[in-house]
Amino acid sequence: MPNASDTERTLVAAATAPAGRRVPARAVRMLAFTVCAALILSWPGLAPNPYILSAGVMVASYACTATAWNFMGGFTGYVSLGHAAFFGLGAYGTGVLIRDLDWPPFAAWLAAGVIVVLITVPVGIAALRVRGASFVIVSIAFVLILLLVAQTWQDLTGGSDGLVVPRPFPDLSRPEHHRAFFYLFVALLAVMLLAWWAIDRSRFGTGLKAVREDEDKAQALGVPTRNYKLVAYLISAFFTGLSGGMYALWFGDLDPIFQFSVLLGAYMVLMALLGGVRHLYGPLLGALIVGGALEYFELEFGGTQLHLVAAAVLLGVVVLVTPDGIIPAVRDLVRRFGPQDSSIREMTAAELLAHNRASGRGGPPPDEAPDEAAAPGTGEER
Amino acid sequence: MSGSLLFQSLVLGVLLGGLYALLAAGLTLYFGVMRVVMIAHSAFLILAAYLAWYFNDQTGWDPLLSLFVTVPLFFAAGVGMQRLLIARLRPATLTMMSVLLTFAVALLIEGMIGLIWSGTQRRIQLPYSGSNVEFFGASIAVVKLVAFVLAGASLGLLYLLLTKSRFGRALRATIQHKEAAQLVGIKTDRVAGLGFGLGLATAAVGGTALALDATIYPSLHWHWVGPLMAIIVVGGLGSVPGTAIAAMVLGIGQSLLQVEFGTTWAQTLFYIALFVTLMVRPQGFFGGRLAQRF
Repeated sequence: MPNASDTERTLVAAATAPAGRRVPARAVRMLAFTVCAALILSWPGLAPNPYILSAGVMVASYACTATAWNFMGGFTGYVSLGHAAFFGLGAYGTGVLIRDLDWPPFAAWLAAGVIVVLITVPVGIAALRVRGASFVIVSIAFVLILLLVAQTWQDLTGGSDGLVVPRPFPDLSRPEHHRAFFYLFVALLAVMLLAWWAIDRSRFGTGLKAVREDEDKAQALGVPTRNYKLVAYLISAFFTGLSGGMYALWFGDLDPIFQFSVLLGAYMVLMALLGGVRHLYGPLLGALIVGGALEYFELEFGGTQLHLVAAAVLLGVVVLVTPDGIIPAVRDLVRRFGPQDSSIREMTAAELLAHNRASGRGGPPPDEAPDEAAAPGTGEER
Repeated sequence: MSGSLLFQSLVLGVLLGGLYALLAAGLTLYFGVMRVVMIAHSAFLILAAYLAWYFNDQTGWDPLLSLFVTVPLFFAAGVGMQRLLIARLRPATLTMMSVLLTFAVALLIEGMIGLIWSGTQRRIQLPYSGSNVEFFGASIAVVKLVAFVLAGASLGLLYLLLTKSRFGRALRATIQHKEAAQLVGIKTDRVAGLGFGLGLATAAVGGTALALDATIYPSLHWHWVGPLMAIIVVGGLGSVPGTAIAAMVLGIGQSLLQVEFGTTWAQTLFYIALFVTLMVRPQGFFGGRLAQRF
C-alpha cells in the first residue's frame, strides 16, 4: 500500500511539530548500519582461515565493481555489459606503471584511474550517441576489442603469459596481505557509497534519474542529458578502474581473459540488479550474495562450467522476477505485512487536520480520507 | 600483396560475408519484431555447430543432414523463447532487460555445452574436408563453398518468404508498425513469435555451415558476438538489406586485412567500423526511422 504510507510520510515530514515516529526508524537504521559496518570490518578477524579471508577480499572487490557500475546503471538506466573494460584497463594501467616506470604502487593506482577516465572520454562520447540496445552493443564491443588488443600486444601486457604486479607491501605475510587489502577495498567502497549518496541527493543526480525515467522529456525540460550521462559514465569508469587497479595490487597476476571478460561485466550487472539498482546498498547486497555464491561454486565445483550455468539461471530469474532488485521487493513485503501499514489509522481525523493546518497545506479532499483508511485493510487481506 | 592472393582473399571474404549476412539477418528479425538485441544468437550458432558435430560423431552421416533436426528444433526454441521469456518482460524496460535475458541464455548455453561435451576443441572430419576447387586461379576449400551455398540458399529462401508469402507480409508489417499491423488484423504476438523462430533457424543453418570448417569450443560464441553486433549497428538496426551489405563489406574487409595483419588485428576492423559508425551516423548507414531510438 504505497499510497497510504506515502501520504503519511509527507504529512509527517511537512508538519512542523517534531515527528515522534521518525526517530525510531532513524535509530533502527543507524543501528542496522552500525551492526553491518561492524560485521564487515570484523570479517578478517572472524574468517577461520586465509582462504576464506581471501574470498572475503574477492567479494569486497565485487562489491566495489558493482557499486561503481551502479553510478551509470542505477542513475541513468543505461545497462553497460562492458564495465570489465574499465576494470581491466585500471588493472593493467596500474601493473604497467609499476613494472615499467617504477612508480610507487598507490600513485600508479590513482594514475591508472585517471588514464581510464581519459580513455573513456572518446568511448563515452561515441557510446552515448545512441540509446538502449546500441549502447549495450558498444559496451560489449569495447571489452571484446580490449581483450583482443591485450592478448595480442604481448610486449606491454604479457599476453596470456600474464603480467606480474609487484606487491605493494613486500614485508607482509599472505594473510596479513589479504587483511590489508580487505580494508583497502572496504575503504574504496565507502568512498564510492558516499559519492553515490551525495549524487543521489544532488541536482545532478536528479537530472540523471530524469534521464532514466524519460530521456526525451528530461531533454525537453532542459536537462543537459548528454553531458550528464557522460559525466556519470566517467565517474563510473573511474571507480571501476580504481577497483581494477586495487585488484591488480592485491592479486598480483593479470591475464587478459580474466580482466577483460564479458562475464565479469555481467556479474556487475547481475549483482547490482539483484540488490536493486535504485538503492545505495543494492549493489553491495547483490555482491555479497552473488560473490559469495561464486566463491562457493568455485570451491565446490572448481573447474566445471557449473558456475556459468548458475550465474545464467540467476541472471534470468532476476531479470524475469525481480528486475527492481530484492531491496524494494523486501521493502514492499515489510510494508504490506509490517506495522507501518496501519499507521494512518492511529491518527484521528482531528490530529490529521491539526497536522495539515500546521503544514499550511489545507486538508485533503474529503473523499480521499476514507480511501486511505480502507487501504491498509485491503493490504492485509491479500 | 600479389594479384592472385588479393583475389583469393577477396573470394574468401565473399564466402565469409555470406555467412555473416545470414546470421545478421536473423538478428535483424529479432530486432525488427520485438526490438530485442539477441546476444544469445551466436551461442545458438555454436550450439547448432555442436549438434552437427555430435550428429556426425554418433551416426557418421554428413553433418548437413543434421539440419533436418536442428532447424525445426531451433525454430520451436525461438517461438518458445519469445512466448515464454521475452514477452514477459515489461515493455518500458524491454530493450535493456531483453539484452540481459538473452545474455543469460547465452551463458546458459555456453555452460551446458561445456558440461555436456566438455571444453575440448572439436572438429568434424569429412571426406571432402581437405579438398579444394579452382576458381579463376583462386583455390577455395569445398567446405567453405558448401557453407556459402547453404547460407546463400537460406538467405534467398528467407527473402522469398518475407516478400512473397502472406506470412512474410504480416511479418514485415509488424516490423514496420506494430500498432498499425494490429489494426489491420495481424496477430502481432504470434507473428513476433514466428519471427523469433525464423531468426533462430538462421542460427541453426549458420552453425551447421560453421561446423563444416571450423574448430569449435564452448566459448567460441564470444568471437561471433562482437562482429555480428557491429554488423547490425553499421548496417542500421532493423534493416535487412543494410545488414546484408554491411556483412559483405566487413567480411571482405576482414578477409583482406587478414592477409596483411593476421587474424587478431583483422577482427578489430569490426569494432573500428562500429565506433566510426556511431560517431558519423549513429543510426547506421542504411538504417531508417527505426534505428534512431535504439
